[in-house]
Amino acid sequence: MTGPVPSLDRLPGEPRYWYAGLAVLLVAWPLLFGDFWARIGLGALMWIGLAQSWNMIGGYAGYLDFGHGAYFGIGAFATGIAMAQLGYPFVVGFVLAAVVAATVAYLVAVPTLRLTGAYFAIATWALAESIKQAALVTGITGGTFGLSLPRSSETFVGVPVPFPISEAFFYYAMLVLCLATMALTYYLFERHEFGYRVKALRDDQDAAESLGIDTTRVKRQVYVLSCVVAALFGAVHAWYIVYVHPNDVLAPIITDRMVIMALLGGLGTLTGPVVGGLLVFLLERLSSVFLGSTTFYLPLIGILIMITVLFAPSGIIGILRGEVDRADVRENVKELGEKFDLL
Amino acid sequence: MSGGDGSSDVPTLSAIGVEAGYDRHQVLHGITFESRDGVTCIFGPNGSGKSTFLKTLNGIVPVWDGTITYGDVDLTEAKPEDIVTHGIATLPQGGGIFGSLSVEENLNVGAFTVDDADAIVERKAEVLEVFPALEDKLGQKARDLSGGQQMMVSLGRAMMTGADTFLLDEPSAGLAPRLVDDAFGLIERLVDRGAQVVLIEQNVRAALRLADYVYILAEGEVQFHGPPEDLSEEDELMELYLGL
Repeated sequence: MTGPVPSLDRLPGEPRYWYAGLAVLLVAWPLLFGDFWARIGLGALMWIGLAQSWNMIGGYAGYLDFGHGAYFGIGAFATGIAMAQLGYPFVVGFVLAAVVAATVAYLVAVPTLRLTGAYFAIATWALAESIKQAALVTGITGGTFGLSLPRSSETFVGVPVPFPISEAFFYYAMLVLCLATMALTYYLFERHEFGYRVKALRDDQDAAESLGIDTTRVKRQVYVLSCVVAALFGAVHAWYIVYVHPNDVLAPIITDRMVIMALLGGLGTLTGPVVGGLLVFLLERLSSVFLGSTTFYLPLIGILIMITVLFAPSGIIGILRGEVDRADVRENVKELGEKFDLL
Repeated sequence: MSGGDGSSDVPTLSAIGVEAGYDRHQVLHGITFESRDGVTCIFGPNGSGKSTFLKTLNGIVPVWDGTITYGDVDLTEAKPEDIVTHGIATLPQGGGIFGSLSVEENLNVGAFTVDDADAIVERKAEVLEVFPALEDKLGQKARDLSGGQQMMVSLGRAMMTGADTFLLDEPSAGLAPRLVDDAFGLIERLVDRGAQVVLIEQNVRAALRLADYVYILAEGEVQFHGPPEDLSEEDELMELYLGL
């Protein structure tokens, strides 16, 4: 099964030099710019990865998941419980995050993926909210106090490490996870038959079934995968931030950000969540750092979302690819509505 | 699909006393049906059960009672993906193209149940032979094609499964009136290559020109079956069920 290679390289000159330059920059980033920018960088990497995880179910499969942030929280709490309550090293928490998220996601997938469009969105939103409320009253999650994780010592998996566990260390942890997410997305959704099954069921479920695609199974696979990826970012986040509270890691804004990033960048594209994730994260973080206001970016993002929905349903990547030549607002809104089965 | 003369090598798709429905609501009350060489049309008013019947044939709606066979193979309990591998492809209403995928990708998805790489290459060449207009469009997104070309994609994609029997659910639905004849022309190209077609249609007049055998369904039962010539004598039936 071969498809056209996604057009990542519209830049002038040899693409491989750009890739090499990017690779060097990513690796050297915390060493060149210090702790502050390492922190900005690791935040950006985390949000790119989270937006990509939402893009799997929301963009490629066309299921408007409004509860995805719950899995980030599940990953964070699984790690928190493993490290703070049970005294295990991070790696155990990381694995536990994946296992718990996969189990919950599968149990949720069976009933909710029968729903489509707005009904699926409402069901997943309600699920996320109830998980948050449950975490606030349960003992093992620390209830309203949250959980404080042991500060990372100079060991990794119990083995002493020759370098300090610092901002730069967590930057590299996020970098590895983010790159792995990108590689997995590229391989599964852009190269492998699996991606075509997913896109086929998004475009026309009946037709996909008539061609022998087991759509129920494929939908469950995408959902579980996307939830596990979100949970792994939650795990690393908890390890880094050393404090997890339901109001932080299970906040609805986490889902909202993922949706906005994927939508703005370009749904169902490999690079859309990268562009959208960077843009939204940097707008938010830099405006709060340099303008001292934490809400300044909100109306700005609102306006950007409106412009996207009305004029560029395939996002920034769509504009870069020259896919948007319609000024017909009705058609654009309809395209998005159809993508999510809302019509 | 073997092409060439006659289609007698295509197995007969038959249903005997098929009953089916949704939840507790029974829709089909014992349908007995046999596909013929060429085009077998199923007509009937809205709610007659013709779409449900097609869905029992392709495994989407489970059969409560009765049997479905394809040649010697029992398909009564078969799932949609088994039906495809046994050589029966369905075209959902409106063709159901994958709009965001290119024409070539659409064709590739049609071959997902096929393991033999050589057969896939051969069939793709065959699709382009039957629908040469697709040759220049292979890299284009399917949603950017005209209605007629989308129909070619949909038929070509079904050909990629290697099927020799095609179940068509209202291919003219949603097409502009002047395109309906073209659409039936495309189906004829398939039949000329030896394919067997089972066709559900609201547009009875247009479909009758193509029909080799006709079934009329109403209230979940077969009201008439026979060659189209016989149907023209059944004025009452035509008026009652088909509004002609």
